[in-house]
Amino acid sequence: MIRIENVTKYHEGRVVIDDVTLTIADNTNVGLIGPGGCGKSVLLKIVCGLIKPDKGRVLIDDIDVHKLKPTELAELRFRIGMLFQNYALFDSMNVADNIAFPLRQAGETDEELIAEKVKQALIDISLPGIGERYPNELSGGMKKRVSFARAVIRRPPIVFYDDPTAGLDPVTSSKIFILLRKMQHDHNTTSVTISHDIEGIKDICDRFAMLDRGRLIFEGDRPAIEACEDSLVSQFWQGYSDDELNV
Amino acid sequence: MHRLATTLQAPFHWLGQTALSWSFNAGGLALLTLQVLRNLLPWRWQFDGPETWRNLYRVGVKSFPIVVVTAVLVGAIMVIQSGLYIEQYGAYGLLGWGAGYSILREVGPILIGLMFSGRVGANNTAELGTMKVTDQVDALRALAIDPIGYLVMPRFIAMILMMFLLVVIGNFTALIGGAVTSQVLLDVNMVLFFQSVIAYVLLDDLLHGLIKAVAFGFAIAIISCHFGLSTSGGAVGVGRAVNASVVGSAIAIFVLDYAITFASL
Amino acid sequence: MSASPDIPGRPSGREPSNFREFLSALGEPILYLTRTFKELVEMFGLTLYYMARGRTRWRAIFEQLHEVGNRSVIFIAVTLGFLGMILIYQAGYQAEQITGDLQLLGGLFLQLLLREFAPTITAMMIATRVATGMAAQIGSMVVTEQVDALQMCAAPPVDYLVVPRFIATTIMMIVLTIFAVLVSYSAGALTALLSFGLNVRTFIDLSFIGWFDLILCLSKALAYGMAVPIIACHAGLNVSGGSEGVGRATTNAVVNASLAVVILDFIITSLGYVALSLLPS
Repeated sequence: MIRIENVTKYHEGRVVIDDVTLTIADNTNVGLIGPGGCGKSVLLKIVCGLIKPDKGRVLIDDIDVHKLKPTELAELRFRIGMLFQNYALFDSMNVADNIAFPLRQAGETDEELIAEKVKQALIDISLPGIGERYPNELSGGMKKRVSFARAVIRRPPIVFYDDPTAGLDPVTSSKIFILLRKMQHDHNTTSVTISHDIEGIKDICDRFAMLDRGRLIFEGDRPAIEACEDSLVSQFWQGYSDDELNV
Repeated sequence: MHRLATTLQAPFHWLGQTALSWSFNAGGLALLTLQVLRNLLPWRWQFDGPETWRNLYRVGVKSFPIVVVTAVLVGAIMVIQSGLYIEQYGAYGLLGWGAGYSILREVGPILIGLMFSGRVGANNTAELGTMKVTDQVDALRALAIDPIGYLVMPRFIAMILMMFLLVVIGNFTALIGGAVTSQVLLDVNMVLFFQSVIAYVLLDDLLHGLIKAVAFGFAIAIISCHFGLSTSGGAVGVGRAVNASVVGSAIAIFVLDYAITFASL
Repeated sequence: MSASPDIPGRPSGREPSNFREFLSALGEPILYLTRTFKELVEMFGLTLYYMARGRTRWRAIFEQLHEVGNRSVIFIAVTLGFLGMILIYQAGYQAEQITGDLQLLGGLFLQLLLREFAPTITAMMIATRVATGMAAQIGSMVVTEQVDALQMCAAPPVDYLVVPRFIATTIMMIVLTIFAVLVSYSAGALTALLSFGLNVRTFIDLSFIGWFDLILCLSKALAYGMAVPIIACHAGLNVSGGSEGVGRATTNAVVNASLAVVILDFIITSLGYVALSLLPS
């Protein structure tokens, strides 16, 4: 269970995250939505301990993420996978080494087992045989899928997806969402997905949260968000604007 | 077979690529110099007053503290280094000459030039490079504004003028730093130090250094603008451009220094 | 976005006076310097910690040795070669005018080269070429979230990125300084021969060199070799914002590294002077 309690973050004198409290139960998949620049990515990075909040705390299974020593934090992160917005593939390594990196970092030394797992991971993302290639030779969609494979190679119980379909064509997007859903069904992961693709995450998430200017303005399941009276939420959900949108 | 062919080709590939990039940069630098000089011709003279003023302010204010700190320390170091010899021979009257001569002619302009290239040149390349990769330079062209006249000329003028002034200030502060060091560390009276500077250091030495300053300013301006405006490839490209710019400036500083020293003696 | 009234460190609702502005203009760079210095010391400590505790990644170290060393050789040869020519030209001209005696030129030049110019100018050149490269590379890794990804894979960035660069630069700084002495001295000898007709055998004169000069030279190279990579990596890891941030970081890296070289030079030269005057010669 992930509990975000009263988290506030300032950046250069501005409020980026404004007193957000949110609980994510085990085996739920939360879709985090909101207009660009509202602090979604920052919130995600706070949750996994990459950014320190100015106020509040984050508990993962009742452990305060920001009070851990570096070694304990490393141990916690073995249980978290993250797919980054900008792919974040190491461009000095080839695809196979990129995917194997989390395994090797976790102390796995059996190279045969690693090779087997990498091969299977590449089949799972339907990109077999690209292990020898380097990230800069891949297209955006391929990079996203490789990044996905790296995020889940350790089969972490918690996975964060930061905009998994940004800048991708509709066909590739749907492939990625299929991968996400498969991950949830096969391994019962707890996940948070940031996306602007409302149609896509409608089907893969069971709860939704919306941020606006650093503030949490909605949290609930699909019927609740569909019935929500707040004009910001309903406009965002339905993707239209009948009056002037205050963004 | 294929692998063997690739291995055999690799050195030639590298050679060709290096030659191409050198030719590209040499040509680009020459072209930019010509364009800048053409813009300086009286009948083509366009002077963007406010933009130049803004650049003068930024270049001067940004590099002033670092130049002063560098100069004071360099003065101190040169005094200690000369002091090691002076003490051996007991020729305390020559301390001001030894330190002053080396600072004004060589060490001052070179070190201030290197600092200037790091602070102002690198910053300039980064700025122009960012504008280039975010298509702002093309946007200027689309608005029928000449990037040379609008972006390069004010920086060019500001850098040469400021480099000159900073070396003047730097020389002065270096001598003060040297005097203080000679008093504190070497126990040589400050007055004696300055007397020695005034008696033995000639106007020639000062002018020699100032000519170098102007030449370095010219080179840093052209090189940093060229690498900035030929940036490509996002954030990585900006980093690479800055690297190329400071490396090119450093080489230019030493080569020009040699040429001026050789020509003037 | 509206600023909340209780943002830390920003007094609200008070008119900024001239005096206040003056104080903040004075205090800001001091605060920046002390904060940066503290972060640098922390990173240095962390680097030593991981060097002692972590496993050694030979491949990464060799890659960095190649990047720092081999790729700087031509640059160092050109700049230090020209420096040797310039210094001999200036010194020879003066000696010819004042004493007309060029016998001591080579010996004194070598001594000065070891004590001051070879380590310091080499370090300035490394600060220029290598520090900008490191800051740019690590900076673009930060911008593309690769450093975040390293952390999520439980690989500490200092261990993974800084340690190999630190080891490689420290080794290569010493190697390149020795190389610089050779290049600069050869260029100087050639200039002395061609411009003043000084015999190369007269020029090569090791009688001035003592342990003091060698120790001073190597301790400077060692200090610069440790300071430059730490400063460059610090600048790279603290990038924020896209290509603009990377540009700013590379500028910071070269300026701070060069400044550190000058400051360390001053400290070590003064210490050397004090040591020499304490020792009976």
